[in-house]
Amino acid sequence: MKRIASLLALLMLFVFASTALAGEPQDRLKAGIDKVIAILSDPALKAPAKRVERQNKLRTVADSFFDWRELSRRALAEHWNKYTPKQQDDFVASFSELLQKTYIRKIEKYNNEKVTYQKEQIEGNQAFINTQVVMKDKNIPINYIMIKRDHWMVYDVVVEGVSLVKNYRSQFSKVLSKESPDDLLNRIKDKTKALDEGKNVDDVVGK
Amino acid sequence: MNTASKIVGAARNLLAAAALLLALGGSALAADKVPAVGTPQTKEMSLVLLAYGDEDIWDENGQFIKKGSGPAKTSVADAAAETPDPLEGWNRAMFTFNDKLYFWALKPAAEGYSFVIPERPRLWVHNFFHNLLFPVRFTSLMLQAKFDAAAVETSRFIGNTAFGLGGLADVTGDSKPYKPIPSTEQDLGLTLGYWGMGNGFYLVWPFIGPSTGRDTLGYAGDYFLTPTSYLHPWYWSIGTKTYDKVNEVSIRIGEYEALKEASVDPYVALRDAYLRVRFKRMND
Repeated sequence: MKRIASLLALLMLFVFASTALAGEPQDRLKAGIDKVIAILSDPALKAPAKRVERQNKLRTVADSFFDWRELSRRALAEHWNKYTPKQQDDFVASFSELLQKTYIRKIEKYNNEKVTYQKEQIEGNQAFINTQVVMKDKNIPINYIMIKRDHWMVYDVVVEGVSLVKNYRSQFSKVLSKESPDDLLNRIKDKTKALDEGKNVDDVVGK
Repeated sequence: MNTASKIVGAARNLLAAAALLLALGGSALAADKVPAVGTPQTKEMSLVLLAYGDEDIWDENGQFIKKGSGPAKTSVADAAAETPDPLEGWNRAMFTFNDKLYFWALKPAAEGYSFVIPERPRLWVHNFFHNLLFPVRFTSLMLQAKFDAAAVETSRFIGNTAFGLGGLADVTGDSKPYKPIPSTEQDLGLTLGYWGMGNGFYLVWPFIGPSTGRDTLGYAGDYFLTPTSYLHPWYWSIGTKTYDKVNEVSIRIGEYEALKEASVDPYVALRDAYLRVRFKRMND
């Protein structure tokens, strides 16, 4: 009996220790993801008529913990300076619009999958957080990289080893090797427009 | 003995020879080179990253990248993602072909199929075909000298086949091994990579999809380890594989669309994703 009690005490210690270990960036991330999940599983917002309202809510939450500017800057890498400050603002707005549109479509199929937080590393003003999404036939590792501004903000998401920033970096540098910075910006805007008009992805061939 | 079984016999001999060669080559390679698996290596990067001020602190899995000399440091995954693409013209044509194949044939077939068959039976079919690919995983794990993982994979195969209605149910899916083992989702292409072989070049095949020089070699080997390749006559083999493919697509409808919707150059987006996912699987 005594042994069980001491074992329990030890176990409790571990449990509390692990919760106490979660630092500021992970708390921020978890708060954001929890809010997204709350909106997605809110039955009042599930009706097709509420679709726009739900999307707007999701966007507000995403804006609160994603640093779109940092994300765009890193995705453009050395091409970032080819844009004037005004164009940069335009780029950040258009690119984040495209990302949100496509990713909201993706997560709208959310079906009560659980998110588990595996590990958190902080180095200076940056943080790396490993999470897993438990799906019906497998677990998908999703990692978030965050940077501290006024608050901790996410600037890159790595799904199964594929970094969002780096994937776009390769696309952008490919497009910019043949086209002008303005052309790239227009491409992004055209993509968003095509999505708004509800065109089939089948017809929307990037090339 | 008819010709078909002769061919099968010859193929088996060929396979045995290839496996032996692989094992020998593997051990020879291992002797003079410690395979850098799981450990992030710093590597001088050229091109895009040099002019770019921000250094990455972690690689894609959260492994700390050690600081070294040089202006920009990055993970080995980035090197894998920069696999040359000398046949881009052919590759883009094949990408378009596969894209049309997906939207005009595979997806409509998968949608019709999933309209008739509910999701759960489709997952059974998925389990069945996954279980059937045991020889590919087992051989690859043995050739990578991951004997513990090979043993676990074997017991899963036996368990699922005997108690899971021939593999329809994944009864062993929830039971975890005593100690952590490397990922068992391996094939010969990854095995070649594990022993240090590079991707060579990026290559897109019609029907099969993205690949590389190395993965094509591995795929040819996997073909002989895939039981459905030996179905007789040949059109049963093709038919079974097509059914497997349609079933897979029916479970994953929307994933390719999402990638395509979000990208400004879908060809480059898929190439980058393929190379990075393969690199991650190799080190898992």
